[in-house]
Amino acid sequence: MNDEKKTATPSKKSTEKTEKALYTVTSSPHIKAQDTSRSIMIDVLIALAPAMIWAVYVFGFRSLTITLISVLSCVGFEFLYQKLLHKPITILDFSACVTGVLIGFNLPSTAPLWLPIAGSFFAIVIVKQLFGGIGKNIVNPTLAARVFLFSWTTHMTTFAKPFEKLSASAFTVKLSEDVIATATPMVYLNQGALPQQSLLEMFLGIRPGVIGEVSVLLLLAGGVYLLIRKVITWHIPVAYILTVGLVSIFTAPAGNAIDYSLAQMMGGGLILGAVFMATDYTTSPVNNTARLIFGVGCGLLTVFIRIFGGYSEGVSFSILIMNLLVYYLDRFTKPIAFGKRKSNKGAEVKENGKS
Amino acid sequence: MALTFRGGLLMNGHKNTRGVQIEYMPSPDKVTIPMSQHIGTPATPVVKVGDIVEKGQKIGDIPAGLGCPIHSSVSGKVTAITTLMLSNGRRCKAIEIENDHLDTVYSGLEPFKKRLGDTSAEEIVEIIRNAGIAGMGGATFPTYAKIQSAIGKVQRLIINCAECEPYITANHRLLLEDPASVINGAKILLKALSLRKCDIAIEDNKIDAVKKLRKMLSESELFDVHVMKTKYPQGDERQIIYALTGVELPAGKLPADVGCIIFNAETCAAIFKAFHTGMPSVERIVTVDGDCVKTPKNLNVAIGTPYSKLIEYCGGLKKPVGRLISGGPMMGTAEWDIETPVTKGTSAILVFSEKATRQYDQKPVCIHCGRCIPVCPMHLIPTTLAVYSEIGRYDICDEYDAMCCVECGACSYVCPGAVPITALIRKAKDNLRAQNAAKAALAASAEKKTASETEKGGDKK
Repeated sequence: MNDEKKTATPSKKSTEKTEKALYTVTSSPHIKAQDTSRSIMIDVLIALAPAMIWAVYVFGFRSLTITLISVLSCVGFEFLYQKLLHKPITILDFSACVTGVLIGFNLPSTAPLWLPIAGSFFAIVIVKQLFGGIGKNIVNPTLAARVFLFSWTTHMTTFAKPFEKLSASAFTVKLSEDVIATATPMVYLNQGALPQQSLLEMFLGIRPGVIGEVSVLLLLAGGVYLLIRKVITWHIPVAYILTVGLVSIFTAPAGNAIDYSLAQMMGGGLILGAVFMATDYTTSPVNNTARLIFGVGCGLLTVFIRIFGGYSEGVSFSILIMNLLVYYLDRFTKPIAFGKRKSNKGAEVKENGKS
Repeated sequence: MALTFRGGLLMNGHKNTRGVQIEYMPSPDKVTIPMSQHIGTPATPVVKVGDIVEKGQKIGDIPAGLGCPIHSSVSGKVTAITTLMLSNGRRCKAIEIENDHLDTVYSGLEPFKKRLGDTSAEEIVEIIRNAGIAGMGGATFPTYAKIQSAIGKVQRLIINCAECEPYITANHRLLLEDPASVINGAKILLKALSLRKCDIAIEDNKIDAVKKLRKMLSESELFDVHVMKTKYPQGDERQIIYALTGVELPAGKLPADVGCIIFNAETCAAIFKAFHTGMPSVERIVTVDGDCVKTPKNLNVAIGTPYSKLIEYCGGLKKPVGRLISGGPMMGTAEWDIETPVTKGTSAILVFSEKATRQYDQKPVCIHCGRCIPVCPMHLIPTTLAVYSEIGRYDICDEYDAMCCVECGACSYVCPGAVPITALIRKAKDNLRAQNAAKAALAASAEKKTASETEKGGDKK
């Protein structure tokens, strides 16, 4: 510090002839908050970590392999695309990592190892980069990739039973009858029945499902972390989950409506979707009012698709559909600028009364 | 309950100098006094090279229009009348005075002797104008003009002691060390505006000053001290009016239009000084801070002192300089020249290292996080404005109320994508203003044309 001092201090008695030290001129403000896009993405990765660890516990190391392949291929495709098109390389903002983890989380642990690569290509190249990269894509890359991967329906809907350890490195796993789970909670719910699994099992995450969706508890913990770190606001997740819960109570078939509603909230990908995917910055509204509408819209569509749809893909489809409306939601909830309110009292300022 | 407004930014205040007493810095060997120190017409020099001037003597005057005279801050000899390039790129005349260090006070100055009760508003305005007082909070509007336009129109006088910009503590120290001058200045303003009540608005990070003022004013019926929540930009006059009255100043209106008038605390002290001693506005309190400055201080300095002397007085620099800022870090201007003189509007001099200031290495990308929206005190959507400004769609910026932006910088501050949102909105505003001016000019010329045509038709020779 002291060594540098002299070089920077302008000579004390600078005469007219000596060169003056000239400083950089920039536009105000001259200071900035610490948060960067990268720090936010790292926070999201931290929030996803508990669910990842749980997935390894329930589905074995194959779930980690799939997620890692997905992350590496996302980062790789982003790098290749930008390198080939001579664009600035942005892999260090870690947004591709987040997409990668989420693609992994959306696959069953039984998936062949080429499946995440195909999904990553679709998410990064087609959905994200072709639309201009980070901040420019219209729909959520992860969910678009998930829907794309439904071209291989069998791979996407074959789930392993919890605690059935599958080979961590085999390219494809041979699945025997006793390894495959007959049905996820959603299959039962789709038929209007209560699932086989207990509510506690669903809350903790001891059930078949895609890698990242099973543990409601840990996903919510990640969500709380994001809320504390102010990465997301409560509006979308709360509006989304509550809408699904409330509407499910009223649409429940005969039987225990509360149990049915709770199973609807915890039995599918709702928590993962509501906390981590509906809140994706780029494809969600910026206004809090619009965020509430977005959440409610997602919730209504989810229930609608779950009841009337052929697929039990309520969460993916509803978020993708709502993604398309973000521009209008933001536009129609534009706040009234300070001093433009019609009901503003304007000139009537009362004289400050004697105290 | 502390008063506040909707929106805004909670940030680290960096009020490092809050406990440091104001020091009187000896005037330098040479001062450079710019002829344009505030909004309005630049002054014309009324002295020649070689003239001997005394402290407080008028050296620049405004022949006509908005503006106030400029006085010498030292006694000595005029050595040159040069042209100075200001940080906004404009040039103005500046008078260089060699200090004889005798501090001979101009003989024409004398304290105001009449009783305040017998003084008319016009007299007060005249004295304030002659003392060359301009708003010392940073916006530097000539004070006399502000009073003149408000007489009879306003019901509320507010003294702004919010000082919401980080680092700056000049007003805070003034309130602690010389609250009487602020209060007496406010009394003069009350008289000029013929009001009976004055509100003093202070942020709650200066609770010691609040206590001091409340104690002093416990007997007085003229003053109310209000505590406001510490939040940026509470010091903006719109936000002060909102916090105190609940009224949103309509877009494009002046505080006087809603019956309020706001003065900075130091302006009040300067007014009192002009009445009490006759000395015009020739010095001010400047906070010198930033991570490059060895010992941050509050200095009372002569107008025209180069920044370099203040920094030297504070022990010099300890790190390579990244930015030299005049004013606060949020709304201040970056200066390129360390020899820039202190003017009536210089509330702070901040020297930041490259690391402490805003970084420009990141490629700016909006990730659509929406963080700029809750912090906007004007309830705009900064991200949308930035996007449309960047592609030149200023018409859409106008729809999104770009002209309401007060350029407080809160959006740029929080932006994780490092988008220069404030700068982009500024660009949109400049373009919109130019478009409106062009439109107005076109309309005026068209009107003129039709008028002259009818005239021609009317009296053909």
